[in-house]
Amino acid sequence: MGIFANATPYVGYVYPNETDVAWSQLIVIYPYITGLVAGAFVVSSLHHVFNIQRFATISRFALLTALCFMIFAPTPLLFHLGQPTRAFNAVITPHWTSAMAAFGYVAGFYLCLLILEIWFAFRADIVAMSKVRTGIMGKIYKALTLGSDDVSAASLALDHKIARILAMIGIPSACGLHGYVGFVFGSLKTREWWSSDLMPVIFLLSAVGSGVGLVIVLYVLVSKYRKEPISDDTMRGLLYVMFTGIAVVMVIEGLELLEMVYKAREGVETVMALIAGPIWVGMYIQWGLSFFALFVTSALLLFDVHGKRLVTWLFISGLSMMLGVLAMRWNVVIGGQELSKTMKGLLTFYPEMFGRESMLTVLIIFTCPFVVLWLATQLLPPWNTAAEHE
Amino acid sequence: MPKHIVRLLALIAIIATIALFAKSFFRADSFYQYGHYRGNAVAEIASKIPKLQGSASCQSCHKEVYEQWTTGIHRKATKDNQIQGVVYKYGPGCEVCHTGPAGNHPAKTPMPLSIEDKITTITHLNPQLHVANIPGRKLLLSPDDMRGVCLNCHEKMVGRPDEQKQIDLDTHSGKELCVKCHNPHSPKINFAAMQTVNNGDAEAGKKLATTICASCHGAEGKSITPAFPNLAGQHADFMVDSINAFKAGARKSDMMSGIAATLSDADARNVAAYFSRANCTVTGGDKAKAELGKAKAANCAACHGAKGLRGNGAPGISGGPMWPNLAGQNAEYLANALKMFQDGTRNHAVMTTLAKALTAEDIDQLAAYFASVSCK
Amino acid sequence: MKPLISEETVTTLKTKAEPALTRRNFLGLLGKGVAMAGAVIGAGRAVSSESVGVHEVVGAKRAFQQNDEQYAESVRNPPKIPNYNWNDRQWAMGVDTDRCIGCLRCMEACKMENSVQMDANHYRTWVERYVYLEGSNNAIVDSQTDPKNIENVGGSETKFRFDNRYKNVKVDKAFFVPKLCNQCEHPSCVQVCPTGATFKAKDGPVLIDTTYCIGCQYCVQACPYGARSFNEARGTAEKCNWCYHRITKGLNPACVEVCPTGTRIFGDRSDPQSPVSLFIRNNHVQVLKPEMGNAPNVFYKGTDKEVV
Repeated sequence: MGIFANATPYVGYVYPNETDVAWSQLIVIYPYITGLVAGAFVVSSLHHVFNIQRFATISRFALLTALCFMIFAPTPLLFHLGQPTRAFNAVITPHWTSAMAAFGYVAGFYLCLLILEIWFAFRADIVAMSKVRTGIMGKIYKALTLGSDDVSAASLALDHKIARILAMIGIPSACGLHGYVGFVFGSLKTREWWSSDLMPVIFLLSAVGSGVGLVIVLYVLVSKYRKEPISDDTMRGLLYVMFTGIAVVMVIEGLELLEMVYKAREGVETVMALIAGPIWVGMYIQWGLSFFALFVTSALLLFDVHGKRLVTWLFISGLSMMLGVLAMRWNVVIGGQELSKTMKGLLTFYPEMFGRESMLTVLIIFTCPFVVLWLATQLLPPWNTAAEHE
Repeated sequence: MPKHIVRLLALIAIIATIALFAKSFFRADSFYQYGHYRGNAVAEIASKIPKLQGSASCQSCHKEVYEQWTTGIHRKATKDNQIQGVVYKYGPGCEVCHTGPAGNHPAKTPMPLSIEDKITTITHLNPQLHVANIPGRKLLLSPDDMRGVCLNCHEKMVGRPDEQKQIDLDTHSGKELCVKCHNPHSPKINFAAMQTVNNGDAEAGKKLATTICASCHGAEGKSITPAFPNLAGQHADFMVDSINAFKAGARKSDMMSGIAATLSDADARNVAAYFSRANCTVTGGDKAKAELGKAKAANCAACHGAKGLRGNGAPGISGGPMWPNLAGQNAEYLANALKMFQDGTRNHAVMTTLAKALTAEDIDQLAAYFASVSCK
Repeated sequence: MKPLISEETVTTLKTKAEPALTRRNFLGLLGKGVAMAGAVIGAGRAVSSESVGVHEVVGAKRAFQQNDEQYAESVRNPPKIPNYNWNDRQWAMGVDTDRCIGCLRCMEACKMENSVQMDANHYRTWVERYVYLEGSNNAIVDSQTDPKNIENVGGSETKFRFDNRYKNVKVDKAFFVPKLCNQCEHPSCVQVCPTGATFKAKDGPVLIDTTYCIGCQYCVQACPYGARSFNEARGTAEKCNWCYHRITKGLNPACVEVCPTGTRIFGDRSDPQSPVSLFIRNNHVQVLKPEMGNAPNVFYKGTDKEVV
């Protein structure tokens, strides 16, 4: 159909301007990436703040993961902006009644926090490296030490204390960062599918779920690659966090849906049609994989599974949690726009495949953090000294 | 405090200072003047040049049509020019139909780009000229456009308020262009004015009529056989049109094509003037059939009868001088004419469609009906 | 009989209701404050006393989110627009849906006047058709964007025309409703704009500073009326501003100018004899989606329960 060359087909009545879906798949992965950051950070903080020893092995790796994903959290937004060169207008003159104006500051603050925490966590290694390495790498390490090679027990203890304080600030910040993303959607009274007080909570909890999933997946893959044994203790710990995350987020998401249906405000039929129509695949993936992960983790807990079997099944459930949450982001961001503001019609969004705002861009942006993470682990190896660091 | 902490704090302080400086340095000058926005933006937005110029701007060059418009019905939106008790708004002005704004017509240069139009993005580096800014845009409408333009407002459509004049295409004009009968600048048809268009000389016409036409149509316009039409009392305009159609070959007849070719334009007008003033007679038709035909004549009434479009004629007396009177006409001739419309030997935008919907029985009854109604 | 509340009382009430530290004032102080706090206060605006009752007055008044200082500046030193002072005006529009014939001349004129993209997905103003088929309790709605309407004019998106699809069916009731930006008193789009690229001018219209907009499209999401769209060519948001460049020159907005039936009525609310003041005073008018709390400035006469 000619007229739908760059617009979206619809049924019922939608406002003419809605036929161009404003927020595309790039806005789907933006909250997804920030969610992964929040989840990974929570895992590392479990060690840094609560001193849970079973997470010691992966706490620094989780921290690096958080940083690498945080660096790329704003990129989908930049690719989405109509005028990316003006992006800093939102920082120069932030309009504080806008949830979005805060993004530059919240994200910037959190990024600084992550860098600082990583710096403190790795400082002893950096100093050691600066003495061993030569050439360009030597200079880089030298610069990273800020010209101080003070690794006395007293200053390391101070570092450790500061890192803990930063992690303590970091937990509410990470929650804030992600709760804020939920607020961006939940505070819009216009869209029935978004306008929910539970939205920040749902975003936050599902973020933790997907972030833990990411850490599990990466930990297993990296250990296989490095041919190192996978710590059973750590895996059990991740299992606990994962199970809690899934169980709580599923209950709250269920409650949100229930409330919407139970209140049955004007247009609830259209909401039901949305679930059964444009986003039904997404809903099946989201709920199917969530239930699957819930069953697997419950079974792992119930039958006290250890060893190789635990690794295999936790890896699978971590992966399905990541995919389930991705589907949930799609259902929220795209689903919300597929439900017309008129509440009399539904749109169907077909993503562009190639171009500035396309699936290809999404793929590239989502690959970048993994590449940068690999580079980061080359620069700051998070594994070898993990045990003695404590 | 250890050295590395001091250095770190210093670094943070430097970055923060640079950031704060940059924040105030890059802030637009008039920002926060009136609120959280660039104060200068208000005047910038207001400085854009309007493209719609209003009907008055057309007056200086297009005096004649402007005059027609101001005196015509399109000038008024409502009966008393009032809306909500305020003399406020008049009917469709020039730019309503003439494809949007005049812009800088008649100049040959494009409209200057407004602030908005000059904006570029990373992906669109050249500001695009909007269709409305392009010079020499076609403001005049082609006849094809005209029909659509009239129908934009006047097509009969559910949802349109009753006060709006609406026409049902199927019964009003078929495929005929609106401008055939209406002047778009002053669309109300002035019939009195149209009657005077034919200014033939009846005396001169009489001479021709008695020599050339009388052998078939009778000297008084009463035809010698029911196969030929009576001409007495027929609209002169219609007769001139018919003669011209025979001449041009648009209408074909063994007799008439040849005869019409010998008539000059003046001859045609004179003959028409003569016959149109002759006294008509009713030929009459089968009473029973006529009674049945009366019920079926509703569709004809829009053009050929009372309470039709024009509302000023008796049954069979047509509303406009360009349409024939049917009252009292020979039934056989009428029936033949309809059959010719049906089989395509005669063509007319409206009549062809209408005739094709009729059965042989319908034609018979309608012809009988019109043959029997009074032609006075 | 003496009215219960005299003009004087209203004025006194008005002054009293404005304490030294008003909400907007407070918001101004918060300029460099914490992000979330600002957003929370902004969201809490709907319940503040200013949005109800006594402050709903005509004449020079504050714009949305304008603090004392900025208000004083806007009165003392208005924007430099020739022969125009925004303190004298309070623009409003009336739409008499009983008069609309759905000819869509307003859409065409608007697109031409404001260089809007000439396709079926971007409009500053549009017209909706509501049709109740015989015996039905729900309206069938369509606009020019409907594929059937586009097909009817040979697939062209620049010939603005409704098709005649209900010609041969029985219809209980049908009417047209023109839509445009409502220039709300409490515009959600302004609330969510992260940069201040869109704002409420003191004389009423909500304007877009297209040289400052970053194109995030949050405002497109926030508008309850679907009045905003995204102009891909410019990379900025797009919406009706009541032809601000025309009304500041004493002209009518383009859509009002070309409306052949007088469906759209435009004027200055601070002038009690202006067409729009009379329209609002003499008719029972309604605004769209009042439950959103946006307090629109486009007043509709003759709308219906199904109108969204």
